[in-house]
Parts: sequence; structure tokens; C-alpha cells
Amino acid sequence: MSGGGGGGKPRPPPDPIAVMRGHRAPVMDACFHPSRPLLFSGAHGGGAGVYSVATNFAIGNKVVSQGRDGTCKCWEIEEAGLSRKPLVTFRTNSYHFCKISLVKSASCSSQSSKAIPASERIVESDYSINELEENKKNGVSKESIRFSDVNCAERSQAHLKDFSTMGERKLMALAGEDSSMVEIWDLATAKKLMRFPQTSNVDAASHPTMQRGMCMAIQAFIPSESGCSLNLLSGYEDGSMLWWDIRKPSLPLSTVRYHSETVLSLAVDGTCSGGISGSADNKIVMFSLDHRMGTCTMRKEISLERSGIAGTAIRGDNKIAATAGWDHRVRIYDYRKGNPLAILKYHSASCNAVAFSADSKLMASCSEDTTVALWELYPPKGTS
Amino acid sequence: MEKEAKAGGSGREREELETLTITKVAEVSAAIDGAKHVDEVIRALHFPVDSPLVAGVILDERSRNQILSVVLPKDGERNCWKNAFYRGSAFPALSRILLYNVASKWLADFPKLARKQVYDSFFVEGPTTEIVQALVPSLKQKGSTKDDFNVICSNIERLLMLCLLENEGVRLMVGEFGLLDEQDNNILKPDKVTFISRISQLLSSIPDKVRLRASSALSSHSFFRRVANQLLTGAEERAVQLNCNAIPDAAFLFVGETFSHVCRRGSIDVIVAEVIPRILSLVQSFLSSNANLVVPDVINSNPKSHFWLNMVEAIKDQYAVEKFSEEMLRQLASTSISDVEVYWILWILFSKNFKFGSFVRGMFVDKFLLWKVFPLCCLRWILQFAVFECPPNSDAQMEGRKTPHFLNSLQLLISIWSRREFVQSSSMEQQAYLTAAVGLCLERISKEELDATKDALSNILQGVSCRLESPIDLVRRMASSIALVFSKVVDPKNPLYLDDNCCEPVDWEFGMLPQRKQIAAASHNEDENKSKLFLREDRKSASDEKKQRVIKHKSAENNALIQELADPDENRNPVEVNGEHFSGEEDDDDSSDSSLKPYDLSDDDTDLQRKFSQLGDIAAALRKHDDPDGVEKALDAAEKLIRASPDELSHNSGDLVKALVHVRCSDVAMEGEEDSAEEKRQKALVALLVTCPFESLDVMTKMLYSSNIDVGQRILIIDIMTEAAQELCNTKVVKREQKQGELVSAVSQPWYIPSSRGPPGAGPWKEVSEPGTFLSWSHRYEREIPSRPGQTKAGKSRKWSLGKAKDLQVEWSQNRFPLYAAAFMLPAMQGFDKRKHGVDLLNRDFIVLGKLIYMLGVCMKCMAMHPEASALAPALLDMIRSRDVSNHAEAYVRRSVLFAASCILIALHPTYVASSLIEGNQEISGGLEWIRTWALHVSEADPDTECASMALTCLQLHAEMALQTSRALEAADQFKAQTRTLPPKLDNIIIPFSSTKF
Repeated sequence: MSGGGGGGKPRPPPDPIAVMRGHRAPVMDACFHPSRPLLFSGAHGGGAGVYSVATNFAIGNKVVSQGRDGTCKCWEIEEAGLSRKPLVTFRTNSYHFCKISLVKSASCSSQSSKAIPASERIVESDYSINELEENKKNGVSKESIRFSDVNCAERSQAHLKDFSTMGERKLMALAGEDSSMVEIWDLATAKKLMRFPQTSNVDAASHPTMQRGMCMAIQAFIPSESGCSLNLLSGYEDGSMLWWDIRKPSLPLSTVRYHSETVLSLAVDGTCSGGISGSADNKIVMFSLDHRMGTCTMRKEISLERSGIAGTAIRGDNKIAATAGWDHRVRIYDYRKGNPLAILKYHSASCNAVAFSADSKLMASCSEDTTVALWELYPPKGTS
Repeated sequence: MEKEAKAGGSGREREELETLTITKVAEVSAAIDGAKHVDEVIRALHFPVDSPLVAGVILDERSRNQILSVVLPKDGERNCWKNAFYRGSAFPALSRILLYNVASKWLADFPKLARKQVYDSFFVEGPTTEIVQALVPSLKQKGSTKDDFNVICSNIERLLMLCLLENEGVRLMVGEFGLLDEQDNNILKPDKVTFISRISQLLSSIPDKVRLRASSALSSHSFFRRVANQLLTGAEERAVQLNCNAIPDAAFLFVGETFSHVCRRGSIDVIVAEVIPRILSLVQSFLSSNANLVVPDVINSNPKSHFWLNMVEAIKDQYAVEKFSEEMLRQLASTSISDVEVYWILWILFSKNFKFGSFVRGMFVDKFLLWKVFPLCCLRWILQFAVFECPPNSDAQMEGRKTPHFLNSLQLLISIWSRREFVQSSSMEQQAYLTAAVGLCLERISKEELDATKDALSNILQGVSCRLESPIDLVRRMASSIALVFSKVVDPKNPLYLDDNCCEPVDWEFGMLPQRKQIAAASHNEDENKSKLFLREDRKSASDEKKQRVIKHKSAENNALIQELADPDENRNPVEVNGEHFSGEEDDDDSSDSSLKPYDLSDDDTDLQRKFSQLGDIAAALRKHDDPDGVEKALDAAEKLIRASPDELSHNSGDLVKALVHVRCSDVAMEGEEDSAEEKRQKALVALLVTCPFESLDVMTKMLYSSNIDVGQRILIIDIMTEAAQELCNTKVVKREQKQGELVSAVSQPWYIPSSRGPPGAGPWKEVSEPGTFLSWSHRYEREIPSRPGQTKAGKSRKWSLGKAKDLQVEWSQNRFPLYAAAFMLPAMQGFDKRKHGVDLLNRDFIVLGKLIYMLGVCMKCMAMHPEASALAPALLDMIRSRDVSNHAEAYVRRSVLFAASCILIALHPTYVASSLIEGNQEISGGLEWIRTWALHVSEADPDTECASMALTCLQLHAEMALQTSRALEAADQFKAQTRTLPPKLDNIIIPFSSTKF
């Protein structure tokens, strides 16, 4: 079936459906609101600005931004925009290149079709624009909570206690004050909960993780298989990738080194059973995580003509993955097979991040050229 | 035969017989003088023939009776008598009577038979040597009248054909000389030698002496062919008689002498054409009889080959031997003959002399290898015979044994080949030929032998290096060919390829040895290209390492690309191995697969290239040599940006010129793209010179002689200037020159004119006068602006003004070059003869000098017929007239000088030349005269054929110029006649083909 497209000239890659030019500085990151038609983007030019933004079902109607000034801020999404003042400001004292990561949950993710039964998918299909409009009128925070509730209600009863505590505590992962450390922060209390690797202060410098240089990319997730404990993937300057389990903070579950250069971005798919990583070398690696064995194996390695992948993202339905390249291009891959699908040329400077909307309809790419482009690619069935 | 008669007669008897014959001749003479009728003449002459035969043809009864009554002498007596008659003085006397008196008066009336029997027999019967002596000198003697002379000559010609050709008199002559030799016991006395020489000279002079209308059989070609044929037959017969002994033989000597005389008369080709088939059949018979081993002894023992072995020796004239050998080689080359056969032909002809005579050795080794140019196959034969001295099919063992001569010859060849003077002054064919000789020798030599020869190694290196510097591609190819062969001698496994198109079996012909006429047509332009190529190639070698690196990098990239675009089916394997998680989704995904159809995945990096929008950025990027991509992109963008001619260009131009000249394209560009990078750089520089001439030229001409750039950059600068001059000259944009009433034209826009910004298509600003007032305190300007889309013009607008004339004086000039000509030429002409550190145009960097002069010539051409040409021509003339330039050792420079001289001739307006003559402008008149004399000199004496042909063209141009000038002078004369007398300088210019001089 896949080889059907033999005849004829392939169609040209699509153009962005919309371009947002509000920023005056390179756009560093963007994220979609999980339920409402909102896109948050952060630009960072000179010394000030937003280095990364993140939002999630789990954190409610809020958005977290990270600056390069050693602080992270949590904002309330209000009717007319963001709150004037952040809800919480927490000083992480971290000055590095690692973007923050909220916790991605295999079962919480509305699009993870394996974990969530068919009823969930009906809900998904109900995400029409009208409904979202309606949501908007009704008050977003309530709606958001409702979704959370639905998700939680439909969760299996076998969930462990620590998951719920973790899940409800709204956590955030980022590289710490010592930039080779990974820290977990509680968003609500603005407190540092723990850090990886967890070592005594004496042998901190000699810990093998410390030899890997700065932590450059983090992805936190809660897989359904591993007893719903918080897991972390962290990529380092030397190209290695570590898989942590919060229950074993001293040593990683698995250490792999697929890249010859710094790992710049990590993304885990909706089922938390695999992911994609981009780095400063000319490779994109798709890997799979075996939770029972605790091993990470390379599934596919894609070589690139021009090196440098600053951002990666996997669509919620696990069909396609996108990468943001230093070569100004956004590349789309079939996530399952790993074959290239499109090379999107729009940006006139290197791309910093890509993000998919929760409904899988849209993709945003942000670039040094101060624009954010919106793309409509391979829209899911049932929508037109 | 006559021999018996001679032997029989004693001295006294002979004397008696002689007096008898003389009285008889006197009688005949008297009878003929008194004869009234042709029969009487026949009767008087009849004595050598049988009477009844003659009687049959005589009509007159009385005469017939008289003839029949004569008592015939007996045979023996007859022979004695005949001998006395021909050898003595009687025959010359009678022959004179026969040839003049009888021939002019009576012969026409002779019956055919009588003519044959009575008249012709005098000559046919006699010994050919005497006949020749009697007949040939008479050819040139004047008869009393023209008619007489014609009759006499045609008769002599007829007799000559009869005696020499029909009766094979020449062959008989060879036999006669053989007999002569035997009588004198084979001692060649000096008088006999002179006799032989005299006869052979007479024989060979026949075609030249006969009249123009003579029979074609006596034309030099056919006559000599038949003579040669007879000579060779006779000589072969004689050789069989002699049976391998008794040399030198008078017969052979005669053949040799005749050959040399024929050769001196320029018909050696006919002889050689006769010789080749004979000797070839001889060699072939040897070769077929001795299947593979032809031993010289076999040839020596054969009597037939005896003559051939001695033939060359018999030709005493060295010039003739040389011509003969040369012609022999050339004719052999045009036949399809095997190398072995040629070797043995040469061996038979020359081996004897080659071993003992230094002349033949010198001829082959010196003349034929160093001075002459033969086709390549001849060169191989010469080398085989004279240098290797072994048959070409001999086995390796024989080949391995090399004579001491071989190494000596090789050393001689190499030493001459390596001389710089040889490269400079010998013709291209000669160079190719000698190079081929050296190369063919080197192919046969071993490393040990090479080491043994002193100097050979260093000489080869010197020769190669001085050739590699040459601007002519062919010369460099010769160097690389020799280098290749040489490297194979030194290390057979590691051949050295200096050139990309240097292939393994070296083509020693270099495309010029067989078809030798073609090179003369090569034009200067080609040379220019060649030298450009040369530079590039030079640079190329520097970037070889980089190339390899890039190739590796590229192949890796390509692999990556291939992997990336590989068949998706192949990529499924890892999914199936590791992707248990996905197996459950299979059915779901299959349905949606169609939605994941890839888009067009083609990708190029055009958009990734850095965009330059500021001239300053370009200059800065060009200086960053460690960022090759940046430099490359800057080069890409440079020309376009410069052509856009932004306001700041004049400020940045100097900076840009420096940056562009100093860029190392070979380091920057990707492998295989050096040329395009180079081209971009050149185009950008040309654009700079064209858009911003003064500022750029200022910097560029200063750089030209600065010591911190190399030859390549100097040549680059000159090339750029050449191209820019041509572009300025051919400007297609018609420029509207506005006369502002200023004496000094402003290059940039004056401050008081409004800026030229505005909608596209807006016309230039024009000053308008204030209506109504004659004095205006302010300037008013207006311009035309294209109407906006959608705007319609309604009605007409009229403007009344004073209508200043200057508005109408819009000059349309296509050639912008003359304005800048001085800036192009004058700084470049300064200091070409100075020697500084790294600058030595007159000697080492002669290519730069040649290019510079060429550039100046192009500049001249670009302002042809403009007044600026007349202003700048004296300076250029001054430069090229200097001895160091016009008589430069390198042909390349001389060619440039000829080109520049021709350009001057084209560029000067005839009226200007005329006026400078009238005014006595020494610079111009003297210079033009110098061009003529110098071009004449070059066309006659220059070793370089192209120089000579260019000089001829130059002369032609001079003649044309002179013609035009003389017309202008005539016009001036008419004018002058009314005004004042002409100054005496008028005759300073020589007008060829006119009646005044020449």
C-alpha cells in the first residue's frame, strides 16, 4: 500500500496556511493549548525573553514559560490573554540551553489510542471548532478541569498511588543549577522536588553523568506500563541519552549514545513507548523504549544532508513526526516507518521548534526569522 | 665491339685515321655548303651507313649512283674508323655542321628514312658520352634567326630523346664508364673524375636547357625519372659484373654524380621515387628468404646489393646525400611500409658510411634529429637506425645491448632540448619533434643508464620546468609528456601525471608533426585562453589535496542522501523487529497510509546561501579566507550588487578590488568548480571597472606593479582590464550625455540636481529655464515620470520657453571607453621595465608583459578613430619600440607587440596621421615607420611562424593605413595649395605599392 505512489510526479510540498509575524526576535518555542484554539509562542532576543513555553492538560489552564534569566514563570490564561503577572515565579538559577518539559502521560494523553478505549476517541472527534468556541464561552478553566476529570475517571482502577500524587502535583522537569543535573519542580509550590542523578555531594563530580556535559534536552513522561511512575529522558552534550526512573534516581535505567554531537531535542510519542531525538550532528534517531526490560533501542536512523535538528515533535496520533532544522527546513517523517514525507521550506532562518496541536490538525514551526508558521499536514480522518 | 678496335689500332694508325676523318669531314662540309639540293646533302653525309639503304630514299638519279659506287669499308676497318671519328675532333666538327647547317637548311626536306638512316645515325651510333657532349651545349647557342634557333633546338631535343631515352643511352653510358674504368685499372684519375662530373652535369642540365615548348618527355620530372631508371639498371648490371669487388667504380661514380647534379637541380624526389621500389624489392627478397633473421652478411654477399651498399658513397656531394636521405625518409613515410623494411633499407644505404664516415652519422644524429622536422614515423626510423642501431624486431637481448653512441646521442638531445633558448626561439614543429625524439629515447632507457649519463637528469628537470612556465599549452604538454616518460624510467610503478589530459601512451605527435601546416592559423586569442587555462591549471594543482577531501566528503553525503531516499520497504525491517508496540495498530494504519503519501522531497540549498546586500559585507566576507562558503557566496553576489551601482560603490570600489584580487578561488571553491568561482571573481572585477572606472583603476593599476601579488594575480588584473575595456567600448546602453556647460565633466551627479530617486521609469532631470527672465538665480529641473496605471492623459500640454540650445545637444555615444582610456593605459605603461622584488616583467614574468601589451593593444582598438587614440598612441608606440620589448626573446611577447602595433594602425584616424605628418610630428611618423620596418623584419626573420604571419597582417594594415593617409594628404594638398607650402616632412611615411618609394 505504501508503495502505491509510483506513477506521476509527487505533489509539491505545501505552504504554511498561516504565518504569524508578531515577534521581533527569534521565536524559540511554541505550544498549542491542549483544548482551545490557542497557540503560545516565546521569542528570545538579546538578553531577555522567553526561551520556552509549555502547557499541558495536567497543569490546567495555565502556561509555563522559561526565561534565560534563571526563572520560570507560570501564567494564568485569562479571557483576554495571559494574566498580567505570573501566578508563580520560581527561581531555578539555571542558565543553560535546555528547554523545560512538562510531564507527558501515556494514559492522560487523549490521543493515545492504545491506552484509551474507543469512547475517548469519540470525544476526540467531538472537538469541533464550534465546541471549542462554546468552551471558550463557558469558561476555560472549568472545561479544562472537566477534561481532566474525564480522563481520570476513565483511568483504570489499577493505578498506583504515587502516580496520582505525581500526576496531580503538576510537575516540571528542567536542567538544574548545575546544568548537567536534571531537576523536578513542583509547579504549584514552586519547589524543587528532586534531581537526577541523586548523589551525595562528595562524589557529585565523579558521577558518570557529570562527565556527559550539560543536559540539553529533557522529556518527562509517565508510561502506562512501568507502574505509572515518572520517567525522564535526558540528552547530553556528548550525544548520550539517559533514561531515568524516578524510583531509581541515582542511576539511569539505560544509557545510549546514538549521536556524535550534542542531543538538542527529545520527543516521546503518545504511548511513551518510543520517541525521536535530534542533535547537532546529521542524524535523526527514532528509538523505542522497552519498559519491562528498561532498555532503549534504536529503531531507525535517518541521515541528513545538513546537520542540526533543534526541535522534534511527534503528533498525538503517532502518525507523523516533525523536525526543525538549522537548515531552515521542517521535515516531516512517517513516524511508524521512518520514511520522509515532506521537506517544508518556508523559513528563512534556522528553525527552533515544532509543535503539533492536540487535535493533530495543525503544526506550528518557529524560527529565528521571527515568524511562526502554521501548517496543515495529513489531517486526521474524519475532518476535512 | 669498340674495344677490339681500340686494342687493334696503334697510336700511329689512330693518328692517321683521325686526319683521314678530319679531311673527310672537311669534304662533307664543303659539299654541304655547296649543295643545291637535299639529295646532295644526303649523298655527302651517307658515309657511315649502308649505301643501298640510303640510295632507296634518294630521288635524284645521279646522287643515287654516286652513293652506290662508294666502296664500303670492311667491318674491322669500319670500327677503327668509327672509333677515330667519334673519339677524335672529327665528330664535334661534323656534329656542329649537322646540328646547325644541315638542321636549319636541309633537314626538313630529308625523307623520313634518310633522316633516320643518314642523319640520326651519326648520333645514335656513337658513344653516348660524346653525343651528350656534342648535343647538350648546342642547346643554348643562338642561331642566326629565331626561326633557325627553334629549328635547331627542336632537332637537338629530338636527337636527345632518341639517343638518351629511346636507345637507353644513359644505361649505355654507365656501361661505357665501367669500361673506361677497366682500361685504367680502376684508378680514378682526377681528369677522369672531372670528365665524369662534366658528363653528368650535362646530362642533368638537359631539362633546364630545353625550350619551354619541348616535348614533355624532356621535362625534368619525366626525363629524370627515365634517366634514373636507366642509371639504376645500368648500375645494377655493373654491380653484377663487378661481383662484389673493385670499388670505387667509375660507373658508380657517374651514377652518384648524376644523382647529385639532379639533386642540385631540385629533382631528387624523382630519383628517390625510382630508388625506393627497387631497394624495397631487394629488402623484401632478403626478408622473405631469411624468415626472421636478416644477417647483414647475407646482404653483403649478394652481388645485387653491391651497388646499393656503395651508392651513397658514390654521391660525393654531401648536400645531395642529405637531400637524398631526407627525401627518402619522407617518401617512405607516405607509403605503408613496415618498420623492419625501412630499417634494412636505411641499413643497406647508409650503414657503411654510418660506421666509418662522420658525415652520415652527423647527418642523422645532428641534422635529422635537431634541425629537420620529419613525420613521427620517420623519427622512429631515424632513431632506430642511427641511435638505437638495431633492427626494430630484434629481441630484448639485442635491445639491451646499447651502443655508447646511444647514450651520447641521448645526452646531446637532452642538452639541447633543455635549453631555454631552444624553447624560446625554435619553431613549434621543431620543438615537438625534438621532444618526441627525447621521449622516444627515454622510453628505451633504464634507470641505471640514466644515472650513468651525466647531466641528463638535471637537464631533463630543467627542460621540463622551463616548459611548464610557457604560456603556450602545447609546450606545457610537451613538458608533461617528457615528465611522464621520465618518471616511468625512474619508477615504473609511479607515473607522474602533470596534466589531466596526459594519457598513458603519449601522443608524441602533439597534433603537429604530421599535419604541420595547421598551427600557423592559431590566433592570439587562443593563446590567451591557453594561458588562462595554464594559470588555472597551476592553481588546480595547489588544491589537489582539498579536492580529495571534498570528494570524500561528497561521497559520504551522497551515501547519506541515498539512504535517506531509499526505498521505504527496506526501512520496514527495523520496525518489524522492534516495533511490537505498533503491531496492534497495523490495520488502523494501513487504512490511513494513503494519507501519508510523501510530498516532493527534492531539496536544494539555494535559499540557504547567505544573502549579501551590502558592498561592505561582500568585501568583509571575501577577506575571511577561513570561511570558504562565505567567500563563495560573496563571489556569487558580488557582480549583481556591483552592477546595481549603489551610491556607496565609489567609496567601496577600492576595497572591493583589493579583496577580489586577493581571493584564492582554488581554495574556496568546491572541487570542479574552481573555474566558475574564478569566472565570478573576474566578472565582479569587470563589473567594478565598468561601473566605477576611475576609483577602481586607481587601485588596480597600483596593485599591478606592487610586489605583494603574484604573477597569477597580475595576469588576472590585466585580463580584467582587457575585458572591462572591451565592455566599456561595446556599451549597449546609450548614455545621454548632458552638457552642463562645464569644461570639466562631473562624474558624479552634482549636488544641486535633485536625487534620482523616484518611480521606476522616471526620466533624467533636465534643467529648465525660468520663463520670462534671462537671468535665473536658481536652477529648475524637471523630469518625465511614467503615468500611473489607470491614469489617462487628457489633452496636450505645451510649454513655451526660451528653448536653450543645450537641451537639444544630447549626445548619443556608444563607446564609453575613450573617456577612461588614459586611466587604463598610462598607469599600466609606467614602470613595466622596472625590476622590483617579485616584479620582473622583462625577463621572468614575460607572460605578464605579453598580456600587458595585449591589453594595451585592446585599449587602443577600443578607442579606434577617437581623438584619444591619437593622444595615447605615441606613448604606447614608445613602449613597444623599446628594444627589450620589441626584440624580446619570447615569441609570446613579440606576438603581443605585433598585436598592439596592429591595433595602433587600426586606431589612428587617417586625418590625424596626415596632420601629424604635415606638422612634422616625429613621434607618430617615426613610430609608424618603425612599425613597418620592424614588421618587415619580423616577417622575414622571426623563427616563430605565428609571429611571421602576424607581421604580415600588420604590414597589410600598415599599407591600408598609408593608403587612407595618402588620400587624406591629397585632400590636405588641395587645401594647402591655397594656403602655404608643404613642409618637408611629408615623405617620412613610406607608402607601399605606390610610386614614390618601394
